[in-house]
Amino acid sequence: MDEVLHIGDLAKAFGATQALKNISFDIARGEARALLGENGAGKSTCVKILNGLVRPDSGTIRLSGREYRPSGLSDAQKAGVSTAFQELSLLPDLSVAINLAMPDLPTNDFNIVRFEEVRRRATATLAGYHIFDIDPASLISSLTLSDKQRLEIIRALSRNPTLLILDEPTAALTDVGWLYERIRALKAEGRAILFITHRLREARDLCESATVLRNGEVAGTVNLADTSDNELFRLMIGRSMGTAFAERPDKTGPAVKDEKEKIVLSVDGLRSGAFGPATFSIRRGEVVGVAALEGQGQRVLFNALAGIARITAGEVRINGKSVKLGSPAVAKKHGISFVPEERKEEGLFFGLLTRANVSISNIGRVSRFGLIGRKVEIDGISPVSEAVDLPSRYHDLPVDALSGGNQQKALIARVLFAGAKCLLMFDPTRGVDVGTKQAIYSVIREAASEGKSILLYSTELRELTALCDRCVVIYDNRIVGECPAESLKEEELLETMHDAHAGGAREELRGGREQRVKSL
Amino acid sequence: MVVSSALSLYSRSPSSVSITLYIVMFVVYALAQGHFVTTPYGLSVLLNNSIALAVGATSLTFVVLTGGFDLSLAGTVALTNTILSVAGFKGVGGALEALVVVCLVGAIVGTVNGLLVAYYKLQSIAVTLGTMIMTSGIALFMLNAPGGTVPDSIAYGLTGLLGPVPVAIIILVPFTAAATVLLNYTRFGIGVFAIGQDRAAARASGVNVEWTEFRAYLTAGIVAGLSGYLVSAETGTGDPRFDASFLLLAFAAVAIGGTSFRGGRGTVIGSVVGAGLLELIQKTLFAVGVSSFFTGMFEGALMILAVLVGSLGSMMAARRSAAS
Repeated sequence: MDEVLHIGDLAKAFGATQALKNISFDIARGEARALLGENGAGKSTCVKILNGLVRPDSGTIRLSGREYRPSGLSDAQKAGVSTAFQELSLLPDLSVAINLAMPDLPTNDFNIVRFEEVRRRATATLAGYHIFDIDPASLISSLTLSDKQRLEIIRALSRNPTLLILDEPTAALTDVGWLYERIRALKAEGRAILFITHRLREARDLCESATVLRNGEVAGTVNLADTSDNELFRLMIGRSMGTAFAERPDKTGPAVKDEKEKIVLSVDGLRSGAFGPATFSIRRGEVVGVAALEGQGQRVLFNALAGIARITAGEVRINGKSVKLGSPAVAKKHGISFVPEERKEEGLFFGLLTRANVSISNIGRVSRFGLIGRKVEIDGISPVSEAVDLPSRYHDLPVDALSGGNQQKALIARVLFAGAKCLLMFDPTRGVDVGTKQAIYSVIREAASEGKSILLYSTELRELTALCDRCVVIYDNRIVGECPAESLKEEELLETMHDAHAGGAREELRGGREQRVKSL
Repeated sequence: MVVSSALSLYSRSPSSVSITLYIVMFVVYALAQGHFVTTPYGLSVLLNNSIALAVGATSLTFVVLTGGFDLSLAGTVALTNTILSVAGFKGVGGALEALVVVCLVGAIVGTVNGLLVAYYKLQSIAVTLGTMIMTSGIALFMLNAPGGTVPDSIAYGLTGLLGPVPVAIIILVPFTAAATVLLNYTRFGIGVFAIGQDRAAARASGVNVEWTEFRAYLTAGIVAGLSGYLVSAETGTGDPRFDASFLLLAFAAVAIGGTSFRGGRGTVIGSVVGAGLLELIQKTLFAVGVSSFFTGMFEGALMILAVLVGSLGSMMAARRSAAS
């Protein structure tokens, strides 16, 4: 019996969306397996199932040869599966020591918690993992993100799991070497590790093999030593190879032909959070694509331009005039509208009717004397509904009754209704059906031909090459390249990403060595 | 500098705002009232009027720390007060029997609240509003108008002096200590803070979220019964109607004491002192000759001030940690 974890034919659907299907893979004793895939590929559903937070619809899981069906997190922990979560699971206003000892705090005969024992154990645990710079008495909320992440990992390790799941543990970690040592020690003890990451280099450093998920299915399980980065990228990206693109009527759009055409949005040295500096511009009627692997900072760029994330440096000009994008309302006033990636959390108002969801961006247009009339509203939104191919019978339904695809159409209709001249579209075709995709493509083309400027991010490179006039490539919070229309091909984009990745790896290696020297 | 370090103290220890204010206000009151205030009898009068509110605020604290609300306090107080005034308990033995009865009544209300909120995931405000109305309905059924008499052993026994010491202190100090130990020094209490801070993280840390939340409502119910017992001792008579102003003042006491209505942060001592402060303000204003019509304005302003000082402190702490 050499496998610690066996997953066979796992499937899970949320409503109409098939989140996982036919998922099968095994992890052996002492093996570290990377789980790779773009956002929405099904990695987090897998993690949730293994932790008992989500029940699979079908399929089998065996842990050390035994049937494994956890009913919840503590059940999973008792069975020997322990997870360091990406959204940390530490309690902010309790001390480090209590967090490490939870939930079975040592007590005396009167059920009173023995705090000195809690503290002693915490000190011993931290020392056991070579951590001497965190005071067990300090509150979690007073720690840096990197220290919180270390503690999250330590807590998972200290439960002595047979299967350790690390959910993007390095996102905030400053000293990755420390984690590497811990993982090597675990492997030597014969434990199994499932390592979820977006960084291929880390996957290569830590893991022998990788399972790549795409669109809820296993795109392949590969031996990392025999697989090039390009092959891995290819397995990860391109979730709908079957989607057909109608060829654009004019490959080089009007905006590109006339270089003097007016620049609508220009960004100069923009910084926000870890992102930047970035400099680029979008002309009138131009679609500029953003190509990036998951988590390279593209989200921050979109949030900054939408007025959600604070811009810390640099300048944004609209029609040549410098503007301060302090809030989404200000961004909207300047004609920038944002189609966010999370329809449910950031976009739609569930519980309101579809027509109200569409008209809310420009509610003054559908009200008379301060009151909203149904007829005025429906007449007002009909043109945009038609433009996005949203059937009018949905207008009077609550928006949560619509399918994901129609919800996305409603969201885009709202942005069009706002009369924006610059659209920021963050992965607009994520999780929607083929028909809706086609509708969204034609909306993007029409909007561009009407003179709107569009910044489009998609996880699907084929969408970018088919829809955009040119593309910028983002890697590690920076723009690392630009593909003009003439050379806008998937291979070209992959190449740029790969070069940036290779260059970045060398740089990081140098940085890592310096850090090690410093810590000596 | 002084201001900022004072504010950071207030953010670290949320009850210190109310304790500081209490001391200041007590000095003002003592100066206005003369030395009577500091005699055992004077203290006893001051405490007798605030002890029921202090215990009521403690009851709320257990639930507020989980991030919930418990309105049923007012109903439990009305029901237990009514039972005490009509049941005809006699003597010291009767007072003890009555104590068991009010705890049982509170436990029943707390069990219903806890089951519905923790296990059936109903909204705490809706559930406890329902049990509040229901319990005061039962009280009205037992006693259809204010009246009845609370046994002397309770009415006099709990409000007087035991030697030179007010009985109220003999009750309040161990009560506050016990509630503090329960919240800060047991697995259950730390679980209460945990689920109030971050429910998902508490679950991931292995806390049995439902069981902990259930016990918080159960404890709150029992303590609410005790509060009804003390209300009865103070008024000496029965009133089946729930007292909305008592409920709101109890919430005010919790807020003044530095317990966050978002859950996860707060102390019992803060709520107890907060309750005392509300009573002290009334008395001080009366003593310095301000019309009692102004009491509400002062109490409201004080509550906002206490919440403001607490949040200013944590805002500055956040800015400091962002800067460093």
